Amino acid sequence: MIIEFLEAQFLILTALMIVYLVRHYVFTIAVLNNTYKGKKAGVRRKATYEPIVSILIPARNEEQVIGRMLQRMTELTYSKNKMQIIVIDDASMDNTGKIVEEYAKNHGYIKVIHRVPKEWGKVKASALNAGLKYAKGDIIICFDADYYPQVDIIEKLVTEFVDPKVGGVQGRVTVLNEPQNIVTRLVALERVGGYRIDQQARDTLGLIPQLGGTAVAIRRKLLESLDGWDESILAEDTDLTFRVCLAGYKIRYVNDAECYEEAVENWRAYWKQRCRWAKGHMQCAFKHSLKVLNSNNLLLKEKIDGLLLLNVYFMPILVWISWIISVLLFFSGLPQWFNALLTSTPIFFYSFVGNFAPFFEVGIGAYLDGRTRACWLIPLLILTFLYNIVICTKAFTDLLISKIFGKRIITWDKTIHSGSGNSYIMK
Amino acid sequence: MLRENALRVKHSILGFSVGAISSYLLLSSPYISDESTLMLLIFNLLFVSLIFPLNGTLTTKTCMLLVGNVIVFFWSNLFSLFAHAATYYFGAIFSALYIILNPLINFVWIVSFWSVSLSVLANSEKRKSEAEP
Repeated sequence: MIIEFLEAQFLILTALMIVYLVRHYVFTIAVLNNTYKGKKAGVRRKATYEPIVSILIPARNEEQVIGRMLQRMTELTYSKNKMQIIVIDDASMDNTGKIVEEYAKNHGYIKVIHRVPKEWGKVKASALNAGLKYAKGDIIICFDADYYPQVDIIEKLVTEFVDPKVGGVQGRVTVLNEPQNIVTRLVALERVGGYRIDQQARDTLGLIPQLGGTAVAIRRKLLESLDGWDESILAEDTDLTFRVCLAGYKIRYVNDAECYEEAVENWRAYWKQRCRWAKGHMQCAFKHSLKVLNSNNLLLKEKIDGLLLLNVYFMPILVWISWIISVLLFFSGLPQWFNALLTSTPIFFYSFVGNFAPFFEVGIGAYLDGRTRACWLIPLLILTFLYNIVICTKAFTDLLISKIFGKRIITWDKTIHSGSGNSYIMK
Repeated sequence: MLRENALRVKHSILGFSVGAISSYLLLSSPYISDESTLMLLIFNLLFVSLIFPLNGTLTTKTCMLLVGNVIVFFWSNLFSLFAHAATYYFGAIFSALYIILNPLINFVWIVSFWSVSLSVLANSEKRKSEAEP
């Protein structure tokens, strides 16, 4: 009886893994076909639409990077009289506030909001909501303080809003400090798979491209009708993605609207960041899975993709569960189908760690980007894959404990930015 | 553009044919195990459908595919011989370890070989575009 139960569990888990594998395979094929049909990724039409935009930049203790970001804001090619930049100094204890004040003094379109420690909401969503109150633009665009966008990114993002059905637009994130060390190089590879293939494919196939926390644009009226960002969710970007879609709006992804990020530089920072993402994503899964299933505004393919996206951070946990089941099954005498399934599982294992796409997806993404040497590092992605199994398990355990004991888990474990990306910009 | 697309379709069809023949020949061999069979099929499917449509000469892609198939064959045999010997000395514990780790270890070479193939193709394209005036 127990053996049959374990066999059934193993079969279900493997089937789930196969679903995720097929999804990534379809994404890769879709992007390859799209590229070779001559549709250059993300390039659609020339900008003819120039709405007033409000750019929100939440910043807490970002003195190493905020100057670089604001300097870039002054270099943007979008009409300055149609642009409002709001920096939310989230009770910084360093010189962030002073640096921003200096820029605000010299540039009329830059506004700074200082939040005192009492107001500090401990989550990014709280700072964004504070900024939203002062925003006057038709379109809200968000950047994190450590990012460095292209000068014409605003034009590329807002063009998509010509279509009234489009509620949000996401640009591409590329790693700025990639050559720094092995962690930044692996993060860069993950980003290639996640954006160049995953996001592009979702856009091409009419699915749900995911809104990120940065290089993201959204209609202000829509955002206000949704009551802004949800401060109880750690992954406020994923949450917003689904709220926008459930409200009946489309999300577009623009591959050539690039924004460069300073990636985490060591495994500890990687752990903190991914743990936060995993917890936030799991919160969203609990919040939205049923709504997605019952929604009248989503097509069947969007529902399937949405559910797979929402539940992706649970899969690494199922990986080690399937490993344990396979050991138990081994000692109970192997069923005939077992060997073959176990053989194929590593490929599936590679296929479901959120943005961390399977090897073939990352490889094709790197090839399409013309990054020949980056391909050599693909086998090392097994490190992040194994690491993410532990991270997601920890995140799930924390979430579970908080549910059972009613503890608050909403603490924003902020990524520290050293400003190492500055040296790559100077070059 | 049309000519390039036709070439890609041609490469893919030829790739599927070579992959199918090579798989058939290897699977007819009595020396290939069940797990290697599946590994071979997955490798060939991914390689042909994702590498053959990329830019690059048909010869390079076919050679890579065939080398990959030869590796599957030798790797499978050598590894199962090693496993049998180790199981004989260390008993069932090694067997359990083997059954869990075997796919992962198999996968290490597949991903590495895949990366090298992509790199070779991308490099040759880069050299070609640099040589063009």
